Amino acid sequence: MTDIPITKKQRLNLIRNYIDRMPSLSTTVNKVLEVCDNPRTSPNALNRVIALDPVLTGQVLKLINSAYYSLPHQISSLSRAIIMLGLNTVKNLALTTAVLESLGGEKSFHSLSMEAFWIHSICVGVTAKALAALKGVPALEREEYFVAGMLHDLGKIPLNNRFVDDYSQSLALAKLEQSSLYRAEDQIMEIDHTFVGGMIAEKWKLSKTIVDSLRYHHQPEAAEEGTRLLVSLVALANMYANTLDFGSAGDNFPEERRLFVLIKEVGVDWRTLSNLSRTVTEEIEKAKIFLQLTQGG
Amino acid sequence: MSPAMRVRFWGVRGSIPCPGAETVKYGGNTPCLELRLDSGRLIIIDAGSGLRELGNHLMVHDLSKGPIQTEIFLSHTHWDHIMGLPFFTPSYIPGTRIKVFGPVSFEDQGLRDIVGGQFTYRYFPVRQTELAATIEYFDLKEDHYDLGGGLVLSTKYLNHPILCLGYRFEYQGKVFCTAYDTEPFHNVFCTDVCDPDYDEAMAVEGEMVAKEENLRVEKFFSGADLLIHDTQYTMKEYASSKTGWGHSPIEYAIAAAKRTKVKRMALFHHDPLRTDAQLDELANTYCQNPEGETEVFIAKEGMEIEI
Repeated sequence: MTDIPITKKQRLNLIRNYIDRMPSLSTTVNKVLEVCDNPRTSPNALNRVIALDPVLTGQVLKLINSAYYSLPHQISSLSRAIIMLGLNTVKNLALTTAVLESLGGEKSFHSLSMEAFWIHSICVGVTAKALAALKGVPALEREEYFVAGMLHDLGKIPLNNRFVDDYSQSLALAKLEQSSLYRAEDQIMEIDHTFVGGMIAEKWKLSKTIVDSLRYHHQPEAAEEGTRLLVSLVALANMYANTLDFGSAGDNFPEERRLFVLIKEVGVDWRTLSNLSRTVTEEIEKAKIFLQLTQGG
Repeated sequence: MSPAMRVRFWGVRGSIPCPGAETVKYGGNTPCLELRLDSGRLIIIDAGSGLRELGNHLMVHDLSKGPIQTEIFLSHTHWDHIMGLPFFTPSYIPGTRIKVFGPVSFEDQGLRDIVGGQFTYRYFPVRQTELAATIEYFDLKEDHYDLGGGLVLSTKYLNHPILCLGYRFEYQGKVFCTAYDTEPFHNVFCTDVCDPDYDEAMAVEGEMVAKEENLRVEKFFSGADLLIHDTQYTMKEYASSKTGWGHSPIEYAIAAAKRTKVKRMALFHHDPLRTDAQLDELANTYCQNPEGETEVFIAKEGMEIEI
């Protein structure tokens, strides 16, 4: 990276260009290739492998929402996208994204650990879905909560990849001041990952609920009434993952005040939340086994 | 009174051209339809091998009236639907203007690359830039389009291994619809609770989505004056080994057309293995056409339908 300071406008342009060719996570890429290269692969396995990669999930939803202009509602469910787009189209899309691995390998993740980021994303997805069940959200609508949780930190990927030094400084600053990472990002770069997440979600034409969970998971009170519950559950799931150190996306100092407000607003107690840890651990382990990450991983 | 639209079949066969003694009656060319409006406007749907003969016909009957102008709508970009384009003689005549419309699966590779990619030396001795005609390409999505001159188009994604569009043309109160290549949407996810892959949420949602999508397809061709529908297989063939290949069983397609009060329906995209004798048998079984129900017939090369 250059030593000459770059303007916010230049940063936004770099991010926009990167979003167009954003690679999937190398954590999942081998399994994606294996599943998609196999002509006898089961649709369940395809669904599962895509669901475990936030970038790939976003790409599939992007394709379906840009193709089906005439649908009254945007689609946030992978199962629906797979049936409507067809297995081949989804497989091809997954392969196209997976071959960008050279851009998205572990080394390209620079200041963050890719596997820790992946575990954090899964934890937030699983927790948001479990909280949705506790809140009585119908089973068929819960996948959207998983997707929203899985994707909530997507905005960190372009920032971490395009502005390596600045991102490393943001992480250090958050640690030094024991503050939330988005505040440090904003201080160093004038842009934070929630803003970039919103840019991605809008560019990929993801549903309003996903846009809002990417953009407002650090300030759910700013979300519209229609998406408020989902955003609040994702926000709480994010704090839960950060507090209990399920993986890491560089945000190790959740704002306690906000945590208490959220717990009250969502209406769950800490004990109920703590009881989710077994489910979350099991889901992460299942995902690792599915991706064959257990050996040497 | 002259009809608002005329539709002529130049290719009715699926998958691959199959000339031979057993396909003389119904024809062996792959899909190509000519849609003529009463204004003389020429629309072509699909550029299968039938396009070659349509091109020759235009050279004889249309060129003398002025440069040929046409809009070609591709249902999708599988080879049997685009292979006729290099052999469309008007492409080599200066002054010809062709607009090609169709769906593409990926936004970073447009129709020009996918369809026009046939015009490279490795496949064909003429490059796209060497064609005398002006050819423009337009990517389509599922949407509604005003094509001007009172012609309105709606498109609908069908169920095929790549993105594939059905077309609904509305003109002077008449409706002409295509629904091929497609098979009924079905739940692709595992529904066997004993299978280790089973996931209840996927299984339930899969059932629901398939049902919803089939209803959307039916709504799309509902009330059409003419519907041309994929009927490559019989139900027996479909159920035994062809599910997931992207083509419909005859029985399903006819029932859907009847449910939605389609007036006339052409059985189309015949399997390359289907002989004239077998198609005659299918006509005996499925085209008896009781009074008051959808009139079903088997598409045949050269056949012309007035709407």
